[in-house]
Amino acid sequence: MYFLTALGCTIIATLLWFFFRDRKNLHLEILAITYGAATLMWLVDCIFSAAGGEGFLSFEFPTDGWISLWTVLGGIFIWLILAFILNNKEKTAVTE
Amino acid sequence: MACFTVSMIGAIGVGVAKHIVKHHEKKIELQHQEPKEYKFGSDVKWSKKLSYLELTLWTGSFLLAGEHILHGEVVPYPPFLTAMNSAEDTMEMLQEMGTVGVLMFVLLVVAWAVGVLIVDFVKFRKHKEIVAKENE
Repeated sequence: MYFLTALGCTIIATLLWFFFRDRKNLHLEILAITYGAATLMWLVDCIFSAAGGEGFLSFEFPTDGWISLWTVLGGIFIWLILAFILNNKEKTAVTE
Repeated sequence: MACFTVSMIGAIGVGVAKHIVKHHEKKIELQHQEPKEYKFGSDVKWSKKLSYLELTLWTGSFLLAGEHILHGEVVPYPPFLTAMNSAEDTMEMLQEMGTVGVLMFVLLVVAWAVGVLIVDFVKFRKHKEIVAKENE
């Protein structure tokens, strides 16, 4: 379930990055990279689960629901923190 | 179990490599003042390319670490990984790190390399177009 959540987030973040590519201070590439990386890592996990006889996707409630929520919020958290740091760095470089 | 730790270790390694490359680039910049000739991939510095790989590895590991915490595989007290409580589980964890973890790391590096190649190719084509226009 969280693999699908991460995949959905990757698609949305990539589209946002594409449409707002001129607004560099948004740093949407961080959001797209974060979700993209997690999606690829969980893809490997899903393939190994399927190879091991378990299902490709897991739908264990409520744990998987919490992990899905963590995926969305964790990605946004990283993006906000890193975008804030990068924007401040750029501002400092301009004033110097 | 602890597959995300492979990417975390990889991220630390990439971080170190990035700093070495950055130092080397600064050294070269100071030595060569005149503009260098254009080469494929020279538009974006290697330190910047590596910083994207570092970001990919850290952020991916961060989200997966959260998943492991919610699954109860990572705990806030020593030995931090529940798989380290018995020798049998530890062996299983190491085996998982060697297969799933390494494959995750390799896949992220491949995805990054493809991304870098695409960006370099786009920049190279743009440069060729500008040169062709200038020569007209």
